[in-house]
This record gives sequence, C-alpha cells and structure tokens, in this order.
Amino acid sequence: MICPFCQKTFAAREAEKACRNCALFGGCQKVKCPYCGYESPREPDFLATLRKLGNKLRRHTDAST
Amino acid sequence: MEQRACCGGRSAGSIGHEGLKKLVMVGNPNVGKSALFNRLTGSYVVVSNYPGTTVEVSRGTCRIGNTEFLVEDTPGMYSLLPITEEERVGRDILRAGDATVVLHVVDAKNLKRMLPLTLQLIEAGQPVLLVLNMIDEAERLGIRIDTMRLEERLGIPVAAVSALSGKGIDGLEQKIASYRPPREGKRLEIAYHEAIEAAVRVLTPHMPAGSGLSPRALALLLLQGDSAIAAEEGVREEEIAPLLATCRAEVEASLKAAPSYAIPLALHRRAVAICAAAFTAPPKKGNALADRLSDWTMRPLTGIPILLLVLYYGLYKFVGGFGAGTVVDFLEADVFGRYINPGINALLSAYVPWQPVRELLGMEYGVVTLGIRYAVAIILPIVGTFFIAFSIIEDTGYLPRLALLVDRLFKKIGLNGRAVIPMTLGFGCDTMATMVTRTLETRRERLIATVLLALAIPCSAQLGVILGMVAENPGAMMLWGASVLAIFLLVGFLSARLLPGERPNFYMEVPPLRLPRPGSVLVKTYTRMQWYFVEILPLFILASVLIWLGKITATFDIVVSWLSHVMAWIGLPKEAAVAFLFGFFRRDYGAAGLYDLQQDGALTGNQLAVAVITLTLFIPCVAQFLMMKKERGLKTACAIGMFIFPFAFAVGGMVNALLNLTGVQL
Repeated sequence: MICPFCQKTFAAREAEKACRNCALFGGCQKVKCPYCGYESPREPDFLATLRKLGNKLRRHTDAST
Repeated sequence: MEQRACCGGRSAGSIGHEGLKKLVMVGNPNVGKSALFNRLTGSYVVVSNYPGTTVEVSRGTCRIGNTEFLVEDTPGMYSLLPITEEERVGRDILRAGDATVVLHVVDAKNLKRMLPLTLQLIEAGQPVLLVLNMIDEAERLGIRIDTMRLEERLGIPVAAVSALSGKGIDGLEQKIASYRPPREGKRLEIAYHEAIEAAVRVLTPHMPAGSGLSPRALALLLLQGDSAIAAEEGVREEEIAPLLATCRAEVEASLKAAPSYAIPLALHRRAVAICAAAFTAPPKKGNALADRLSDWTMRPLTGIPILLLVLYYGLYKFVGGFGAGTVVDFLEADVFGRYINPGINALLSAYVPWQPVRELLGMEYGVVTLGIRYAVAIILPIVGTFFIAFSIIEDTGYLPRLALLVDRLFKKIGLNGRAVIPMTLGFGCDTMATMVTRTLETRRERLIATVLLALAIPCSAQLGVILGMVAENPGAMMLWGASVLAIFLLVGFLSARLLPGERPNFYMEVPPLRLPRPGSVLVKTYTRMQWYFVEILPLFILASVLIWLGKITATFDIVVSWLSHVMAWIGLPKEAAVAFLFGFFRRDYGAAGLYDLQQDGALTGNQLAVAVITLTLFIPCVAQFLMMKKERGLKTACAIGMFIFPFAFAVGGMVNALLNLTGVQL
C-alpha cells in the first residue's frame, strides 16, 4: 500500500495494527499509514477481486497473442 | 524455483550455506531489490519468515568469480530508525553484523531521497556498496550520475545497474568481488551540530562495541528516541536513561529542536550536497510547469492564493454550489418534496389509523420524511461532492505541500505542519481526526489539536451544508469564514501560550505533484461515501425515533422552549432551537435542520451568518465527545465541552450584537 500523503509504502498488516487500539476495530474501512498517521479509505474487496480478474485476463490475452 | 519455509523454519544456515560470505540487500520499497536479487541468484530461492515475525526474507546463493555468496533480500526500509516490522527485521539483519557486503539498492532517479539511508549505513560501519538501480530509466529521462564523484564523496564503491535488463551487473559483481571495507579514519563522517556531537561523545562509550551497528550509530539512534535499540543491544537502562535524558535536554535546549528532527535534517542536507556534486537532472521541459507549481504551492506569497483558489473552486463552487445547491435542490425539492414525502404521508393517512405511528414514519419529523430525507437528499450529495473534491486534492499530492505551507503559521498556535493531517481529516470526520491527533509528537500538540478540531473544524457534511446555505449570500459567507478562521487562530494562539511544553519541528519529504488518476479518485470517493452513509443512516433514523419519542412525551417541546431563550439572545428564531438540539446528536443533522429553516425563508442574512457561525463552533457531536474522552480522558473531554458550549453561543451573541450595532444587513 502507498500512503497518499507521504507516499511511503507499507504492508496492510502494519495498518491493521492501528485498528487494534481503536474503538472501531477497523469498522471505519480506513487504512492508517504507520509513518505519518494519515488515514485513507481501504479499497473494497470487490474492487480488488475485479482488478485481479482484469490482470488475469490481460495475462491470458498476452499469452494467447 | 521458489521454496517456502515456515516461520522460524529453515534459516540460511539450515539450508546448508554455513561459512559462505554473505551479501545483504537493503533499500526502500519498490527500488527493484527483488529484481536484482533474482538477477544475482537465479531462480532457486528460499523464502522464509524471519524468526518470530510474519515478515518474509528471501535467501539464495550466487557465485561471483570463485566465491559463492549467500544473498539475503531484506524487506523495504526507509531508515535505520524502524517504524514498521519490516524495517525492524531489516535492521536486525544488519545488526547481526555478518554481512561481507551490504548492497544498498536505490532508484537512480530518486537518488537524493534515498541517500540519507546510505549515509546512515556508512555511519553504522556497514560494508556498504551503493547500487544505482534502474540506471537505464534514469538515463532515458536525461539524468546523469557521476559515479566516480559519488564514490569519492561517499567513500564507498558505487555501481550503476539495471536489474531488469542486466546492464551493469558484471561491473557490480566485480565490485563485490574486490570489495574492501574502508579503513578506520577513511570512513565518511557526517558532522552534526556541536550539541549533537557532544551528546554522541557522552553516549558512545556506553554503547556495545561488538554490534553490527557502530557505537556512534547506536548513540544517534538512542538520541532520536529509539527506545528498542538499547534493550536489543543489551545496554543497561538504569545506566543509560539518566545520561540520555540529560543529553536530549541539552540538545533540545541548544538547537530548539528535538534530535529526531535535527539528525534526519542533517542527513538530508548532506545528501543534497552530495547530489549537487554528482547528480545532474535533465534540462526542464515537460515537468517544468509541475515543478514550478509544486514550488509555488509551498511559498506563502503564491501558496496562499493557490490555497484560496483550491478552497473557492473545490469547496465553495463544487461542494457548496453544485453539491449543496443543484443536487440537493433536485433531490430534496423534486424527489422528496414532490414525490416521496407526499406519497408516504398519503399512504400513512390512508392506511394507518394511529397518529403516533403516522408521526413515527412520516409527517414532520418521521423516519422517512426527516431521517432518510436528511441522509439521502441533503447529506449524501454534499459529502459525495466533498469526497470527490478531497480525493482529487489528495491524489495530486497537494496535502504534503499544504503541510509545509502552513507549518510556520501552525507553529504560532503550538502545532506544526504535521497537524495538517488531523486538521484535513477533520474536514471529513472530526471523530476520526480526533483519534489521529495521537500521531502528533507531544501531549501539548495533541491537546491543542483536539480543542481546535472540536471547536473550529466543521465536518464534511456540516461544511457542505453551511457552504450551501451561504452560497447565495457572499456577505454571510465572508463573515462566517473570517470569524471561524479568527477563532481558530485566536484559540490556538492562546492555548499555545497557556499550555507549557515542547515546540516540535516538522520535516517531511515532499512527493511529486501529479495529475489525479480518475480510477483512484473514484475508488476513494466510493469507499469514503460508503463508509459515511453506512455510519450516518442508522444514526439519522435513531435521531428521528428519539425526536418522535420526545414529541409524544412532550419533553422535546420543553427542551426546545429552554433553548429558545438562548436562540432569542443570539437573535435567531425559536425554530432554530430544533436544529441546535439535533446538533447535540450529530453536527451534520443539526446543519441539515438549519438548511431546512433557511430553505423555508425563516432566516434573514444576519441570522443566517449568526446561525452558521454558532453551529460551526457548537459542541462536538456525541461520537466526537466519546473519542475525546477515549483519547484525552474524561476530565479533559468535559473541560473542552464546557468551554465550547458557552463559547459558541457567546460568539454568536457577539456577532449578532455587532451586526445590530453597526446596522449591517447581510
């Protein structure tokens, strides 16, 4: 993940650590950058699935051509 | 072929590579470390979790000349002062001190940003070889790097490679094969401020000498507040703690800045100086405008007009004019006003004989006619347009520039540029922003930011509704903007004077300015809107039910009649009491109530200005209050609430009196 504020890269599990100390336990659907603390929206699961599907299709098309 | 081992499973030693010389690869994420690792090791790789963690470390072997090396690819790290588990693992691997050569892999295009870690590694006594990866891309962009001069300045070998194409790999292998660590006294030394050097001289003798990191590097890490390193290195806390406290206090007194600010800044300055001698950027062409614009956004003379333009077009015209005007008008007046509300009321009148049930679902304050109408027809379009504008601003990289722009101003109110993060998040939701104040460095900063968020930062829906209300009355808008800004600065200034404590500095790398990506803006807007709507809809319905309960038990009318005295004092009609009562529950619900009043023509220009100023300053909503209690404690939360409640009405009353006294009609 890349923080939209400081542009540093971090793993999703680092962002989840912040949720353990929060009353919302991740219910806010946000990701907290461990470097600067900026919170950005977490990408919905269905969009990640769509992206994976798109990548798979692209690879398939590339392989067949 | 990739082979995976489980946590703590097969370490490098256990895969049969004892006694091999070791190459450790370190560097920022996304600089092509893995590509270089694959290029050096070929396809047989063991990926295992670093013992005791879930962080994966790849290991493989390579043969350079007649020597076989064990190659270890560490997770991405930005600094020797770790924040994430990945960085901690990377540093642990370096602390082991068994690397024959440490390959610091950097993106050649962004050398300046990555050199501070090289300097830290050299300072730590690591056998560093700097690898300028993606050199082909850098050359394509017209970047020229004088590797000889870089070697001379850094005192370490430098190799320019492209891990993807294989360019320069032979040269890298030769440099690895012939690597000789710099002799003592020949190693590059970064000269810090005398106060830091004095502290390092005091601390160094207490640092262990046999560690992978030099005693000087350990002392610098301790000075920067790395609490873990002392325990990791077996330094006795009772011995070092008093010394460290004295050293830090002396550095802060001398520099007027914390070591955690002064040390990275010195490294950054040294990196800039080295780059000035060895790195030539291409003549500005396509990016010239972006670079100039980036520069303008951070200079007060040009940055403030740019900020005003962003606020005018992004918030006032788009959110206030389009979202709160055009879209809300359509949904509220046309969809709900003409079809849904009359339809619901007609159905209820025809089929539900019980008046209380009719009033629960429809009529004036019903779940559908008030709760759902507020949520769908007023708040949703406003937060939707706000989140579109915010996502565009966020995606361009403007926010870090805003942080640098307001840094000097924020210092006057006891904060620094870092406080831009909770402040801007507060325009989305003050409750979440209150929680984010914990990222601020000192208790004093956290307290000031919490007060200012509760007092003078309206949340997205409240801001949008207010902008929609004042959009057609520029006088009221100017008065509202000026009053809230003046109170924000005044209260901040007074808090900074009243609250004792440190005044930390702020330093950050500014990422490039870029055009927003539509896909990213859409995803961010969708996610933020989904979260917001899921959160507010049940609360709005609950608020309607509570109002209905209050109505049938007559308590609602009693509270409204009490509040109507306050309303009269600040010059507002008694109907406005309902909106303020809603505001206790949720700020945006109260704002929607005022919006209704204004649409009905119940507010004059002056009343409009007084109402929006008072509502902006008004006591935070229940959720924000609970978050304040959680973050700052019950006493502080109550004190903030008890200050804000009378203060908001006092300011409203004063503005009303001032307008009456001067005879100004907005």
